[in-house]
Amino acid sequence: MYLASFLDARDILVEQRILTKEQVYNMLVERICQHHQLPICGTKLYDMIIKLDEEAPTAYPTGIAIPHIRMEGFEDTVIAMAFLQNPVDFEGTKISWVVLIITDKTSSKTYLNIVAALMRLSKDTSAMAHLNSAHDGHSVFHRLKEMQVEIKRDLYISDIMISDPVSIMPDANLRELNYLMSANKIAGLPVVDENKNYLGEVNILDLLKVGIPDYLMMLDNLNFLMSFEPLEKLFDKQDEIKVREIMSKDEIYLRPEASIIEAVFEMILHKKRYMSVVKDGKLVGLVTAMDILLKVITA
Amino acid sequence: MFLMIIALAVFAITYFLIITEWINKMLAALVGGFVIILLRVVNQHTAFEAIDWNVIFFLIGMMLVISVMRETGVFMYIAIKIAKLAKGKPLNIMILMFLATAIISALMGSVTTIMILVPIMLLIAGELKLPPAPFIISMVIASNMGGAATMIGDPPNIMIGSATDYSFLDFVLNLTPPVIIIVISSLGLIWMLYRKGMQVSNERRAKLMEYSEKNLISSKKLLVASLTVLFLMLLALTLQVPLQLDTATIAMAGGLLLVVIGSRKKVEKILVNDIDWITIFFFIGLFMIVEGLVFTGFIDLLAASVIKVTGGEPKTTSMVILWLSGAFSAIIDNVPFVAAMIPMIEKLGVYIGDPSKLHPLWWSLALGTCLGGNGTLIGASANIVAVGIANRNGFKISFKDYTKIGAIFTLNSIILSTLYIWLRYYR
Repeated sequence: MYLASFLDARDILVEQRILTKEQVYNMLVERICQHHQLPICGTKLYDMIIKLDEEAPTAYPTGIAIPHIRMEGFEDTVIAMAFLQNPVDFEGTKISWVVLIITDKTSSKTYLNIVAALMRLSKDTSAMAHLNSAHDGHSVFHRLKEMQVEIKRDLYISDIMISDPVSIMPDANLRELNYLMSANKIAGLPVVDENKNYLGEVNILDLLKVGIPDYLMMLDNLNFLMSFEPLEKLFDKQDEIKVREIMSKDEIYLRPEASIIEAVFEMILHKKRYMSVVKDGKLVGLVTAMDILLKVITA
Repeated sequence: MFLMIIALAVFAITYFLIITEWINKMLAALVGGFVIILLRVVNQHTAFEAIDWNVIFFLIGMMLVISVMRETGVFMYIAIKIAKLAKGKPLNIMILMFLATAIISALMGSVTTIMILVPIMLLIAGELKLPPAPFIISMVIASNMGGAATMIGDPPNIMIGSATDYSFLDFVLNLTPPVIIIVISSLGLIWMLYRKGMQVSNERRAKLMEYSEKNLISSKKLLVASLTVLFLMLLALTLQVPLQLDTATIAMAGGLLLVVIGSRKKVEKILVNDIDWITIFFFIGLFMIVEGLVFTGFIDLLAASVIKVTGGEPKTTSMVILWLSGAFSAIIDNVPFVAAMIPMIEKLGVYIGDPSKLHPLWWSLALGTCLGGNGTLIGASANIVAVGIANRNGFKISFKDYTKIGAIFTLNSIILSTLYIWLRYYR
C-alpha cells in the first residue's frame, strides 16, 4: 500500500500566508467536508480537533502535527494535509506540515502505519524539501506518488523513538548528571562514550542512592528515622563521584527495528519506563513508555 | 578401596572449593554430591537417603518463622531500645548488644541474628560517630556463643541434634550452662578491652534518643501472634520427648502457622526472597558428599585411627575432639566440618561400645565447632556475613583485625569448655 493511494489532491493545501493553528484546522475541515461524506462535519469536527489537541499534543519535533479523529460507523480512512511555508507555533514546536486523519473508531492499524510513514517522511530532509517546493496540492500529490511512499504493515521503534536523546559520558560527575536530569526533567539517561557507543544507563534512583549507605538498605523499614545526615551530604559529594561509579552496565536495550509490542514486553518485564535504542553498539535513540502511550495507544 | 579414593578425592576437591570460595559453595557441594553418584561411588537412592530431611525442613521452618517475625519489626525495635536504654554510652551499648545478640541467636540462629542486627548497629555507630568494628566483632562473637547454647542456635547443633537422639532439652541442659559461663567471662573481657577510649557527644546522643522505635511495630496483632507461636514452638521443643515430635515438624508447624496468620498473601515472595535456597542446597550437597565417605568405609577407617591414638579412652577422645574441632572450625566453615565429623563420632560409638560414654563426645563436638567458629574471620557463617556487610559500607574489618579479638575470646571459650567437660563428665 502506498501513502498516495489514501490521498486526494483536492485535500492537499499549500499555504504561503501566515496563519494560526485554528485557521489551518478550519481550512482542513472545510476541504475534507467538501469532498467526503462524513458522519460528523463542520464546526463539530473542528471542535473535536481542538479538544483532542488540548488532551494530547499532536505535534512532533520533526515539524509535523498529526491530529487524528475517530468516528463511529465511518469505516474508512481519509486524509487532509496542509504544507505551511510559514510554520505555525504548536505550543512551542514549529509546525510546517499538518496532517488531519479521520478513521473509524476501530481501525487503528492502518492509522498507525500511515503515521509511521508520515513520521519517516518528516525526518527525511531531502524528501521534505522536495515536497515543500511544490506550489499546489496537485503537484504535492504527484510528488508523493512518484516517491512511492510505502505504508508499512508494522510500526518500528525507530518510528516513535526520540532520535539523538540526551546522554551523558561516564566521566561526568554527579553535579552534571543532576543538572541534565533537572534541566530536561528526565529520570534516566543513557551513558555513552565520545563516539556515542552505548555503555549503559544511569537513573535518578542511582543518583539518590549515593546518599544512602548500604546498611540502611538492609533494614526492613526506616519509619523510626526522621532525618539522616548522609542523604543531606549527597550534595557535598556531587563533584567527586563520577557517573561511571553509579551507572548500571547491563541494562536491556532495544534495536531500532524492534516492534512496539517487543518494547512494551521488555518494559513490563524489566519494570523500565524508558529504554535506549542501540544500533551496532551506538546509541541512536530513546523510547519511553509515555511515547508509546501518547503516540500509539491514545493516538 | 578404589571407590574410597574417588569419594575422598571428590570430598577434598569440594571442600577445597568451599574453603577458597572459588565457586559458589552451594554449587560446589551440589556438583560434588552428584559427581559421587555419576562416578558410581554410591547410587542415587543411597545418596538421597543420606540427606537429613529433619535438618532441611527445620531450616526451612525457621526461615518461615523469621520471615514473618522480621515483618513485625520486633528485632529492630529491640536493637534501638537497647541503644536508648544504654543512653548512648558505648560500653553499655556493646554489653547490652552482646547479650541481646547471644539470646536472639540462641532462639533464631546466629546468621539471621547477625543479618538483622549488624545493619542497625552500623546505623547506631554512625549516628554516635563510633568506630563500628569493635561492636560488629563483639556481636559476631556473641552470636556464635548464643548459637552454641541451644539445638536451634547454630547449624552444627541442628545437625548434631538431628543425627543423634538428643532432644532440645538435652542441649539446653548440657550446653546452656557452659555458654552462660562463657558469656559472662566474655563480658569481662569486653570490659577489659573496651572500657576506655570511646566517647559520645551529647549532641549525637540526643539524635539517637529521638528515634521513634514505636513506629517499627507495624501490627501489634501480628507481633502478639508471632511471639505466641514462637513461645509455643519453644514449649513444644522442650516437651519434644513426651510429645514425640521431631524438630523439623515443630519448626515447620510454627513456620507454616505464622505464614498462614501473617503473610498468606505473600507466599510467593517468601518462597523466593526469604527462604535461603543456597543454604538449603548447600546442606543437601554436603550430606550426599559425606555419604560417599561413609558408604565406602573411609569414616570407619578414620574412627579406627582416632581410637588408636586415644586408646579408646573417652576422656582423652573428648578433649581431642573439643580442641580439634575448635581449631578446625576456626579455619574452615563449621558446617562442612560437622557434616564429616558426625558419622565419625557415630563410628567411634561402635568402638567404644558403651553408648553412655559417647555423650561427652557429642557435647565436645558441639562446643568445639560452635565456639571455634569465633577463632578467625572465616570460622563461621555469621562472621563472613557480618564482615561482608561492614566491608560493603566502607568499614574494612581485615582478617587480622578480627582474628586479634576473635582468638582471645575463642581461647577463653575453649579453655572454659575443657574445664566444663572435665568437671561435669569425668570427675
